[in-house]
Amino acid sequence: MHRALLEPYQHQHSAIHRLSAGVKAGGALAFVLVIVLLPRAAWTAYAAAGALLLLLAGLSRIPPRALARRLLLVEPFALGVALLSLLQQDGLRVFAATLTKSTLCLFGMVLLSSTTRFSALLRVLWRIQVPALLVTTLALMHRYLFLLADETGCMVRARRSRTFSRDRASVWRSSASVIAQLFVRSSERAERIYAAMCARGWKT
Amino acid sequence: MRAGLEDVNALEVRDLGYRYPDGTAALRDVTFTVAEGERVALIGPNGAGKSTLLLHLNGLLPEHPAAAPAVRVFGTPVAEPHLTGIRARVGLLFQDPDDQIFCPTVWEDVAFGPLQLGLHGPELATRVARVLDQVGLKGFDERLPHHLSRGEKRRVCLAGLLACEARLLALDEPTSDLDPRGRRELKGLLESLAVAQVIATHDLELVVELCPRVIVLDRGGVVAQGPTAELLADEELMLAHGLERPHILRHRHPH
Amino acid sequence: MHIPDGFLDAKTAVAAGVLATAGLGLALAGVRRTVPPRRIPLIGLAAAFVFAAQMLNFPVAGGTSGHLIGAVLAAVLLGPSAAVLVMSAVLILQCLMFADGGVTALGANLFNMALVAPAVGYAVYRLLRRVVGEGLRGRLFATAFAAWCSTLAAAISCAGQLALSGTVPLRVALPAMGGIHMLIGLGEALITTLVVAAVARARPELLLEQTGPRLPPRYGELAARGVLVALGLVFFVAPFASGWPDGLEKVAATLGFEHRAAATPVLAAPLPDYRFPGAGTAALSMVIAGVAGTLVAFGLAWLLASLLTRPNGARAHPSGKGEVPGAPRAA
Repeated sequence: MHRALLEPYQHQHSAIHRLSAGVKAGGALAFVLVIVLLPRAAWTAYAAAGALLLLLAGLSRIPPRALARRLLLVEPFALGVALLSLLQQDGLRVFAATLTKSTLCLFGMVLLSSTTRFSALLRVLWRIQVPALLVTTLALMHRYLFLLADETGCMVRARRSRTFSRDRASVWRSSASVIAQLFVRSSERAERIYAAMCARGWKT
Repeated sequence: MRAGLEDVNALEVRDLGYRYPDGTAALRDVTFTVAEGERVALIGPNGAGKSTLLLHLNGLLPEHPAAAPAVRVFGTPVAEPHLTGIRARVGLLFQDPDDQIFCPTVWEDVAFGPLQLGLHGPELATRVARVLDQVGLKGFDERLPHHLSRGEKRRVCLAGLLACEARLLALDEPTSDLDPRGRRELKGLLESLAVAQVIATHDLELVVELCPRVIVLDRGGVVAQGPTAELLADEELMLAHGLERPHILRHRHPH
Repeated sequence: MHIPDGFLDAKTAVAAGVLATAGLGLALAGVRRTVPPRRIPLIGLAAAFVFAAQMLNFPVAGGTSGHLIGAVLAAVLLGPSAAVLVMSAVLILQCLMFADGGVTALGANLFNMALVAPAVGYAVYRLLRRVVGEGLRGRLFATAFAAWCSTLAAAISCAGQLALSGTVPLRVALPAMGGIHMLIGLGEALITTLVVAAVARARPELLLEQTGPRLPPRYGELAARGVLVALGLVFFVAPFASGWPDGLEKVAATLGFEHRAAATPVLAAPLPDYRFPGAGTAALSMVIAGVAGTLVAFGLAWLLASLLTRPNGARAHPSGKGEVPGAPRAA
């Protein structure tokens, strides 16, 4: 899933990509708010919103298949919960409205994340006075995410090549020990990062 | 000694000792100097204490301040309250560049040091651009660290140190796990920098190519120091301390 | 259980947002107070670690697999405040960059998975450890049951929010979310405990570090966190708890409280005319199922901890057979 963060589309150039992160984030938020606050049966409004999204998607020049694929990744939960909503009076209307709203919002957010780099979003958060500790945590998390994901992959492959049984219990145990080792390595790396930060003058 | 008129050495280490928390001695009576602009190599087997020694150069070690600081950088003792200035002047390059590049983008990482030192706005931007150009990474501003090659990461780290206007570079295994091209580029870069350098390395060919002087460390103590050609050609000395005579010197018969 | 946009109505989303902001603020203050500067980068790394750990597959049946959530793992390894911060970071990233969880539902998702889950989990963990003592087996048992409880608590909170918004009626949401997460919680408990056991084997000092220098607990802060979680749960679930089982109603009548019981509960329910259909038997059977499930989980947690700390020299195998680590098993 983290491939989404490394999608080549974030670094493309298009009218949408060139917009500032603040504008895109603000716009996405406004869009989502409007959709969520619309009355359930506002079908014309939903259609207009959908058209707007398709226009923006076109302008962003991201391959439609990539967008569709990302959308499908997150639909299942929405679908599942929405199905539960059928079990009440007037359920069909609730189901339809909920599913439509959530799909529109999902599409909007997928567009935002496909055209905006996380580091740019972080700068927006910083500017709107989100506490420094939280922004630093988000920044460090994003920076080391890929590294840890790669390390995890390596460790999993190494473990699996040393396990001669393929039953579920062994897989669970080996995955758990990979997670444990990942934590140990992360702890050690965090100490070195602290040293590196101090070495360049970081004062708490 | 004409105190006011002598040249200040970039680095003065006198009788430096250090024990790990569990009591084992990591460094014993280490003494050497590095002149301004001089390049000195620090060699020795694994576990000799090279990395530990480097960590003393900018005050990351010892964890608790010693009574009498054994290390002086440009005349200033490496201890509080001088540490901020020391850490600007001493650029420590860590063994694993991923430990050192902790910001989301290259630009932000290089800007980290000068930001801590109080630089802002257009001055900051100018300095970052200058050092990125100096290390050959022009245009890398928005790149994600994860996308960089090992060699590029090393150069980003160096840029970060140069951005702090370091005058003494302490480099921990700078060419380890670099491919031949990366190694060549880094060597060329280090050669072009006029600042004093202490290079801890296993890369003996690099030592011969870059450093006129070498310090041999083993089990925490300095066993020899002197001109590179002389020491590295001494096969007995090299083998006794877990090293070997580099190929570059093998075909030079002094007699 | 990331709630997407469009499933919560305005009042629920706003209420959850307020609670989440307060909880996150408390956690940030707690981290600044209790975490030494040396370990601040660890929180960011831990967030990356949780994210990476969530990607690992734990095969269940057929083609399905489970994944770690990590709230209790973070709480046990880093402490409750850091855990809240870590889980919040993960959820924010998932919301902004993966559309996993809606933006308007971020408050609710943060409340459920970054506040309720670690807080309930850690509370259960500490409580049980106080009861069972300092040994590894006690720690593992407490971890296992705490992880199960935290998953269930988050699910209940989520169900309450969906019901309050009128999206899914509670009589459907609670059994569905609660039931499924009672099972998911077993997986979470198993994975979390296996990981803690592995860390205890490899680097026991990492587990001690967090409980090391015991800072005097700021009861005010503990209380604030507890009140926050309780407030939220009450707000999201209590309006529907007016379906007292018959026994309790009788008690209330005898003691003269029947007037109060018939009226709205402590927090004014937004839908005062709402009658919980089939109050008596449906509610009772749900309570029985809940209690039974909890007892089963409790017992399983104890069994797991015992299996993992079997003193027979070899690493205990969850299936009960001993095994020499590293040696190939007979095909």
